[in-house]
Amino acid sequence: MGALDTLLDHPALWRGRSATPAPDAPVWPSGHAELDRALGGGWPRGQLVELLGAPFGCGETRLLAPMLAACGQAGYRIALIAPPATPWLPGWQALGIPAERVLLIRADADRDRLWAGEQCLRDPAFGALLAWLQGPVEAALLRRLRLAAAESRACAILYRPPQAAQQPSPAHQRLQWQPARDGLQLLSLKGHGRWARSGQPLHIPDPHPLPGT
Amino acid sequence: MAVELPHLALEQLARSASPPAGGTPLLVVESGPRPRVHAASRAARRAGVRPGMALVDALAVLDTPHLVEYDPAALHAQLERLAGVLLQFSDHVHPEPAAQRIMLEVGRSRRLFGGLEALREQARQTLAALGFHARIGLARSPAAARLLAGLRHPDIPETAEALRRTLGPVSLQALPLSAATREALQATGLRRLEDLLRLSRDALAQRHGLELIRLLDQLLGRQPETLPRFSPPAELDLPLRLDHEIHATTALAFPLKRLLRQAEAQLRGIGRSLQGMTLDLQHRETRTRLELELGEPDIRATQWLGLWQTRLERVTLEAPVIGLRLRAERLLDPPTTGAALLATAPDDHATGITPTAPARIRARLGNAAVFGLENRLTPLPEAAQQPCPQPEAMRRTNTATPSQEVCGSAFWVQDPASIAPQGALQPLGRLEDGWWDHGRDQRRDYALARDPRGRRLWLFRCLRSGQWFHQGYWG
Repeated sequence: MGALDTLLDHPALWRGRSATPAPDAPVWPSGHAELDRALGGGWPRGQLVELLGAPFGCGETRLLAPMLAACGQAGYRIALIAPPATPWLPGWQALGIPAERVLLIRADADRDRLWAGEQCLRDPAFGALLAWLQGPVEAALLRRLRLAAAESRACAILYRPPQAAQQPSPAHQRLQWQPARDGLQLLSLKGHGRWARSGQPLHIPDPHPLPGT
Repeated sequence: MAVELPHLALEQLARSASPPAGGTPLLVVESGPRPRVHAASRAARRAGVRPGMALVDALAVLDTPHLVEYDPAALHAQLERLAGVLLQFSDHVHPEPAAQRIMLEVGRSRRLFGGLEALREQARQTLAALGFHARIGLARSPAAARLLAGLRHPDIPETAEALRRTLGPVSLQALPLSAATREALQATGLRRLEDLLRLSRDALAQRHGLELIRLLDQLLGRQPETLPRFSPPAELDLPLRLDHEIHATTALAFPLKRLLRQAEAQLRGIGRSLQGMTLDLQHRETRTRLELELGEPDIRATQWLGLWQTRLERVTLEAPVIGLRLRAERLLDPPTTGAALLATAPDDHATGITPTAPARIRARLGNAAVFGLENRLTPLPEAAQQPCPQPEAMRRTNTATPSQEVCGSAFWVQDPASIAPQGALQPLGRLEDGWWDHGRDQRRDYALARDPRGRRLWLFRCLRSGQWFHQGYWG
């Protein structure tokens, strides 16, 4: 029995059904108490997170605003790789995200986007990475990104179209989002913790609800 | 301090490429009506070739040596570059190309480097790292330093008395005198310098001329010798000739590394830094020019090498490369690290770190691939931001103006596109600009809406036409 315990405690051994991540795992706050609880404290640092959904502009970037603000105020850079529109940085600043810490990276091919993302993750100056992908990507490239994320202290977010849910992915967590009546609905496709296993969608209300809805 | 580089001609070539396979003798040949050997590699010397020998004789001894033409201008330029490197040890440097020697006034640098012996060792290692073997002599007077360097004398005489003691046993044959004087001294039965110093000045002057007296005075530091100061060129220009053609970009890494190392040493010497450099790949007829920019001044060769390798991966060579040339015209003052020294940043803070990834990304995806956005403080959102090509250097941007805040904290912006809004609207505020827009002034009422697909739109109504426009996305 003692031999088995030492084996189970071995840090190199990964257990598929291991419980929630260690309570002291570094996170950035998500700004929503329920989401914090579901994610195990907040947006995880040192993990690759996929956000699957469409269309662009439903509030899926605003969802990350508290995380980006915490990250920017701690002096880290934020990389935006190939966003589908131009960010309105004065608006970001109003939410506490320092505009001078935001770097935009232009890349046409998904391969180049993933490569640039890996470079950013290997740079300790970056605290958050948001990358938008269009089509299906090779699992090997995603695996490289996952490794780079695991070695960094940054939070890596990949925005992908909802069709990507059919393709398996090496990302640490996969969340599917869709617009709901007054906010966003999140569903965990992959991850650890109770929420991921429950299969229950999580409703994130809009910070600025529209009148009459 | 005198730094003699006896093998400059050979070492300069070994730098150009990997040294010829062990054992192949290498000769540097002075062309002319009767070609002479200028310098010979160790393998050639072992076979009996000596510098100064006629080439025909050398060829009789050696089996297919590797021949390289002697190029005094290139040697001169090389020596000046090394003088630039040695500027990190003293501000007063004087290259003597004829003797392949560089003189340094190090009296004032001795405390900074922890003693003369440590200083000598450091200078030797600096040159060795660049692939040059140096003989270094240190003494109170330049003439004595030259003599000690030539003799590979380890002593460092710092006082006049010590200098006399060190120079005493030196053979008179080693002195830089004309052949006639040397023979005359030999004839009088004088062998060593101490014999000479015992004699009276007047007698010596009468018998052997003023040349000898002047040399003795210079050796002992009784007569000061003024050497002009070397002033380094204000730009970096390092050519490198390859002795064989290179067909693959990966093979360029080795010569490039040496070039970058030399650039680093030279820039350290003159206390400058750089942010961008140009690399010319010379082919037989044409050349390929590559450029690289960094976010912040940096001179470390390892840093640059990694970037150049990424950059070269994207290059396909049209023709074999026969030479490299590294140039930087704009040298900058090195970045100050003062703030980083004082700030006691908490653990989880990255303010002081300059990102290095943007330079790598630019090297592969092009210079325009990385940018930041600066607030121009104009009211219209679609025109308020301009790209800033060096986002790493951005320290603080302008905060939003009141007129920009009126339209709310939207996330994404685009050029206005006409749209017919559906459903409920949430008003945000009114934006007006004025007479300064030359009659094209705008009055807009901003609002938020949700479209049937669930997108949160950022809209405005132009108060002149009453039409709605789509300005961007709220989230």
